[in-house]
Amino acid sequence: MPQMRKRRRVVLQAWHMSAPLLVVEDVSLAFGGVQALNGVSLEVREGEIFALIGPNGAGKTTLFNVISGVLRPDGGDVRFAGRSILGWAPHRIARAGVARTYQIVRPFGRLSVVDNVAVGALVHARTIGQARNDARDVVGFVGLGAYADRPASSLTLTQRKRLEVARALALRPKLLLLDEVMAGLTPTEMDGMAEFVQHLSERGIAAIAGIEHVMRLVMRISHRIVVLDAGRRIAEGDPAAIQTDPAVIEAYLGAPLAGAG
Amino acid sequence: MKRAAVPLAVLAIIALLLAPLRLNGYAINLLYVTVLSIALAYGWNIISGYAGYFSFGQIAFFGVGAYATALIVVNLHWYWMAAALAGGVLALALAIPLGYVMLRLRGPFFAMGMFGMAQMVRVLVTAVPATGSGSGLFLPPGSGITEVYYWTLAICLGAIALTVWIDRSAFGLRLQALREDEQVAATLGVETTRAKITAFGLSALIPGLLGGGYALFLTYIEPDAVFSSRLDLQSIVMAILGGLGTVWGPLIGGLVMTQISEALWARFPQIYLMIFGGLLVVLLIALPRGIVPALAARFARRSGA
Repeated sequence: MPQMRKRRRVVLQAWHMSAPLLVVEDVSLAFGGVQALNGVSLEVREGEIFALIGPNGAGKTTLFNVISGVLRPDGGDVRFAGRSILGWAPHRIARAGVARTYQIVRPFGRLSVVDNVAVGALVHARTIGQARNDARDVVGFVGLGAYADRPASSLTLTQRKRLEVARALALRPKLLLLDEVMAGLTPTEMDGMAEFVQHLSERGIAAIAGIEHVMRLVMRISHRIVVLDAGRRIAEGDPAAIQTDPAVIEAYLGAPLAGAG
Repeated sequence: MKRAAVPLAVLAIIALLLAPLRLNGYAINLLYVTVLSIALAYGWNIISGYAGYFSFGQIAFFGVGAYATALIVVNLHWYWMAAALAGGVLALALAIPLGYVMLRLRGPFFAMGMFGMAQMVRVLVTAVPATGSGSGLFLPPGSGITEVYYWTLAICLGAIALTVWIDRSAFGLRLQALREDEQVAATLGVETTRAKITAFGLSALIPGLLGGGYALFLTYIEPDAVFSSRLDLQSIVMAILGGLGTVWGPLIGGLVMTQISEALWARFPQIYLMIFGGLLVVLLIALPRGIVPALAARFARRSGA
């Protein structure tokens, strides 16, 4: 634990110095009459672990869809590594270094685990053989080595979650968008995933983790937190500040956050 | 298995090359139509099997190839194979803008859209006075079935080689990824529009090239003969029966279908279509993913045990 505090302090120092990797500025998006995102802004630095928390329907997945280019916002701007990526096609954003996972896992069922990952690896590889080799490394890295040549449809839910992460990592991203990557995991598996995200952070890969519950982990590993509620940003700060924020406590029905996980 | 495949393929190709020397008129016609359907099935398999965009309109490109060839041969007096090549190129050139529009549709909407598109192309072609409108067009006699057969065989072998390449290439992996989930493929860096249009173009080039041969084979073409929904459906069923998105599916499906069809036709000329239809239904229920994937699964189980 003391080691982790030290790491957090180092990252926080870096936060003030480095230019932001991702800037989301005043982003709004409505579906019909529902304001899914209402003037949301946030900044993520290199290597930062950023938690995006909020109840179901708060707009976390919508924000991920906007950042990855799947949805175009009605207003606002999204800048990555200093350039506006608004209106870019999803493949271009992915190639620029933004990778994402999906809340509801979406493996390419009929392809093997390696080929699922090789699709992302093709962005950097010169040949398909090289992409498959790179993919095999990533598959081993997330602990799916024994299943590499099986069809993805044969994996369990936990394994599919890991496959989602492996596919995203194969893009060698600078920023990883993790949509409810903890949901459905056992407490031990959650700890493993949290450790994994910290490991990536040490390698300079920033992560935005969209998380509904499991506050215990969020508080432990996040450098900064933004709380969304009904499409609005209701709070931002480090874990200590968020836990005592009255607006956050109210959004979570009065339950103290530390106990919600 | 693998080691036996190469000499077997070489033998099969030699036999196919020598076939016209030994076969009578009926047999060579049957062989031509079989090779043609299999080649059409290979063309369809790229966009519909690998990329997952079910098209009920690829026959439009066959018709375009046939009419282009006929018009060039009649008016410009080119050697027919050069004209057929031009027909293929024309089909490809048409497919690129068409694909750009049509491939925005998905699932059943794309399937129906392509069906409508094929009808539109057919009406457009017959609206041009030079095509003899609806009444058709005669081609000068002189090119025998043998030439047409070799042309078609060459395209069929080319389509198989192309499919073997696609199946192993990065392009093929991208197509399969977008077939499984287009949005996920895009967020993994796949330029989906480009991959789809390329696949669609190849699936237009192959029938486009085949159409010219068919025009020469018929010596007289009319819209119903070359925009043939029977040929279209037949090749689709071959690819599905053999196994969608597999290298050998169209070939195996095509061979099985023509063999069954011929055997039934010879024995039950009155009701063979009824039996054939019933048999197809049974086969597709028993092997929902097609013959090739079912065989592959069986081999994998045996070698795993």
